[in-house]
Amino acid sequence: MTGQTPHSREHSEGRQVGRDAAHWARYVETLEVGQGSVAPNVQGRRVVGPLQGFGKMWQKTYTARLEGASASPSEVVEAWRTRFPELSGFGEKGFRVPSGGLVPGAVALLGGLSGVMVLYSDEESFTYMTPEGHPFSGWITFSAHRDQDATTVARAHLLIRANDPLYELMMPLGLHRLEDRTWQRTLRNVAAYFGADDAEVETRVVCVDPGRQWHRYKNIRHNALILSALHAITTPLRRTRRHHARSVGAVREPPRRPET
Amino acid sequence: MDAEDLHGSLHALRGEFEGVLLISRERREDMPQAQVTMDVRKVNEGVSVIDVKGELTAFAEGVLMDAYSQASDGRVRAIILNFEGLEYMNSSGIGLLVTLLIRINREKQQLLTYGLSEHYRNIFQITRLDDAIGIYDSEEEAVRAGAA
Repeated sequence: MTGQTPHSREHSEGRQVGRDAAHWARYVETLEVGQGSVAPNVQGRRVVGPLQGFGKMWQKTYTARLEGASASPSEVVEAWRTRFPELSGFGEKGFRVPSGGLVPGAVALLGGLSGVMVLYSDEESFTYMTPEGHPFSGWITFSAHRDQDATTVARAHLLIRANDPLYELMMPLGLHRLEDRTWQRTLRNVAAYFGADDAEVETRVVCVDPGRQWHRYKNIRHNALILSALHAITTPLRRTRRHHARSVGAVREPPRRPET
Repeated sequence: MDAEDLHGSLHALRGEFEGVLLISRERREDMPQAQVTMDVRKVNEGVSVIDVKGELTAFAEGVLMDAYSQASDGRVRAIILNFEGLEYMNSSGIGLLVTLLIRINREKQQLLTYGLSEHYRNIFQITRLDDAIGIYDSEEEAVRAGAA
């Protein structure tokens, strides 16, 4: 069983490490968010793939042909990675890129709700992996390649499950549609950035596994929406407690007099 | 149209057709194709091994699924992927393994692997594929696990 054609990539550097070594994130037990960032739904969370989620598994592919654009696949991916907040429509606040950029292992924050880790990054693609508590458990890969007629094609490819029962309930109630709109908009923005203003985005959705992983129902304990809502509700209470603690501390400890 | 005209027309058509074939072949050669071979071996009635050599990327999908179809019959209970010849894998390649796993599980089969280098074991770990795909140090161990 063979598929073979000369490839432009360099030959393997050695079996032990693999020439893709630098493109992958290193293994970490839990995610660390950069200093100065507060992200309780990301800090200390494990990353999760499509095998760790609760809901049906979906493969969603969005493609846009950049007709008339001269950009190569690597140029498209480089711009996409560098300008991700702008091209995705999330903006700088909605998608906070860490100071070192979107390199393998970097953790980007999503508007304070959750985040993603850069699992893989090379010249022609980059992939995010989600943490516990994110609406989805899985991977999303952004890539570009040359089509048969030498047109550059940009692609976003998701392999995801809803992370827990609550998110799974939300899927037919708008979460699917939100996801589709987000990545269709992104592909249109990428195409427009390279001058292909009229690019149409082709969307293909396949249910890879219609079965739900019921034993993963406990994932709900990390649900970022629930935890964020609880945090918001209890904020006044925590403020009151802190204020009270400071007041009590001031009464018990009279101010010290300087020694003479 | 007489015979000579017909012959001329057919000759012209053949030339055009051959031109089309040449363009088609050139475009196929420009297209990125799978840089992978997958040979299938039946170890025993219940276990098949797929020897993966080369690159596991999105372009390997057809080769991988064909290999699985060859490796799997009604009696096979375990599919073992031999990764000793794996030279390169990107995130799309990992995605292929997930879709293969789903297909295998649907057939009530197991997916096992051996021959992964330390680098690729780390990748299985960080992508959490090791939660669902057995990783073994040798073919013997994998076959024993598959037969159990």
